[in-house]
Amino acid sequence: MKVKRAGAGVRLRFDATEAQLLRGLTDEMRLLLEADVPGSDEVVQRLFPPTYEDPAEQERYAASFQDPLPAAKREALARVREALGERGPVDATVDAEGLASWLAVLTDIRLAIGTRLHVTEETMEREPDPHDPDEAALSVLHWLGWVQESILSAAP
Amino acid sequence: MARRLPVAAAGAATPDTIEAPGKREDVGEHEVTEPDRPWLVIVHNDPINLMSYVTWVFQKLFGYPRPKAHELMLRVHNEGRAVVSSGPREKAEMDCFRLHAHGLWATLSRSE
Repeated sequence: MKVKRAGAGVRLRFDATEAQLLRGLTDEMRLLLEADVPGSDEVVQRLFPPTYEDPAEQERYAASFQDPLPAAKREALARVREALGERGPVDATVDAEGLASWLAVLTDIRLAIGTRLHVTEETMEREPDPHDPDEAALSVLHWLGWVQESILSAAP
Repeated sequence: MARRLPVAAAGAATPDTIEAPGKREDVGEHEVTEPDRPWLVIVHNDPINLMSYVTWVFQKLFGYPRPKAHELMLRVHNEGRAVVSSGPREKAEMDCFRLHAHGLWATLSRSE
């Protein structure tokens, strides 16, 4: 993976393996956002947290914001998915708005993985453990974080 | 980079809210429904979001200079939560929505 500043945005390059991983993850995220997943699901709760403690206030809030939030997430996801193309490596130049979408989508995927794995600050900081069945997913989580850090350091 | 929003409590400087409390009946045609206590936008710590990303979000959404955004991020990280903006309900709700769109864990509560 390589990131370079490009005008008000960045140029992102992923090799074929990295690009394929990102396609798979963004497709899974789209399924999650489009599926009728119960509101009690832990990932859904993390991606769409309640704004108010008070149930009546929350209900009133949800009437206005329940639809725009998933719509905003789907829109960012679609933008990133389009930049990833269908096969091979990726070489994409994204503007300031696209950059925000990339960061938000990487965040959502990291939140989904991390929430499913019930990560803690301790889990996030420990050395890789080859005997941990979650190790592969954790390393994806860390790799996505590294991509995110790289974008942030290259961003204007 | 970001569309700048009015910084916290910009709404508090309206004529209605700088009136002495006893004069509230005199505001005339201004509808004053929730005049006193602003709504606080609170961001909670989570183990997944990167510190650098959280700082970037505060800069982008609120137009805060980097040092202020960094300090707020550290407060969230060290104390578990921090008030990142405040204001009238509508503004606070929009701030919360945008924080959620960026994957931050945010809630609203009424200022004491």
